[in-house]
Amino acid sequence: MGSLNPVESGGDLGFLATRVDFLVNWGRKNSLWPMPLGLSCCGIELMAMIGPKFDLARFGAEAARFSPRQCDLLVVAGTLTWKMATAVRTIYDQMPDPKWVIAMGVCSSSGGMYDSYAVVQGVDSILPVDVYVPGCPPRPDAVIDAIIKLQKKIEREDPLGRLLHGPVEKADTGSGQLVFQPNEGVLKSSLDRHAHDPESRSAGVPLGTLIAERPRGHTEVRP
Amino acid sequence: MSATRERLSAALEGLAYEFEAPLDGMTTLALEREVLREVCLRLKQRAGFEGNTLVTAVDHFPAEPRFEVVYQFLSFQHNDRVRLRVRLREADAAVPTITDLWPGTSFSERECFDMFGIRFDGHPDLRRLLMPQGYEHHPLRKDFPHHGIEPDRLYRTWDKERRKEWEAAR
Repeated sequence: MGSLNPVESGGDLGFLATRVDFLVNWGRKNSLWPMPLGLSCCGIELMAMIGPKFDLARFGAEAARFSPRQCDLLVVAGTLTWKMATAVRTIYDQMPDPKWVIAMGVCSSSGGMYDSYAVVQGVDSILPVDVYVPGCPPRPDAVIDAIIKLQKKIEREDPLGRLLHGPVEKADTGSGQLVFQPNEGVLKSSLDRHAHDPESRSAGVPLGTLIAERPRGHTEVRP
Repeated sequence: MSATRERLSAALEGLAYEFEAPLDGMTTLALEREVLREVCLRLKQRAGFEGNTLVTAVDHFPAEPRFEVVYQFLSFQHNDRVRLRVRLREADAAVPTITDLWPGTSFSERECFDMFGIRFDGHPDLRRLLMPQGYEHHPLRKDFPHHGIEPDRLYRTWDKERRKEWEAAR
């Protein structure tokens, strides 16, 4: 990494590109404008983080805007339901490039304790996530730590290379289309199927079996 | 016999019902759906129960009759509450609506229909309340898998609906 001191040697085009990269990244990482998306209790910690006690202004990220057009950091703070997921995806699509995502709390990282039909099992099912923050809810310090980690990640980016050689191939760059990437890592039980699903009958659980009599196979990983 | 039971017995004279003694102590009547509307009408007009606080259901899968619709009413003048329970078979899971007596039960009945698939005959607008229209399952039934069925399809359905609304609003 370079510094802002004047340079004594060098002088070809490639060298100039590196310097601009550094300057752009330096500017971007120190002026993150978060989109506060407080979906549940994590939102309270998010407010505490922006407030005077934890003072996110020390890291240049206190300008929370409520229009996605003015933001470059999406903080998904809380439980994301499938019903809300389309709105969150739209917000992400509306944010101008470059943009980063922090999944704040276990619910947005992995679904958390909401092992349910209504809750997205990790926002990485619908968005590319840069930093995951564990905790229920995480303390503001933890989220500030995530922002510092994100700043280090931004330092390593290559904005000019992207400009010269086209965008980097990413799984999802916000094309305006909804891309569902099923989270294969989520543990599922073979019993978690609808009773009218033919596969559930082949799993050996006849219709009408008492719930108490069913074998408990919750930690079983589906092949 | 408590004052509540006396008042109810007087108001519901001639109708088929049974008193029950649940653990929480609330006065509870078990009845059939044929008399449900008459009981509700008399509760409102004669026994002084002005408000409905709850319409929900319980799924006793795989027992039969499978469903149990639960109503709770509140009387302001007597500072009293009463609960009604109606058992329903899965093949014919339908009760008459009480939205004409208590208009506020409309949403409760819609939610109950959405979550359990119980029809409320005579309801003016029996659409799903929480899940998207056209969804085929009823999530609070005991045989519904708690991971859901094709959540991504659900997501796309919601997305299509929402985008349609946005287009219409534009």
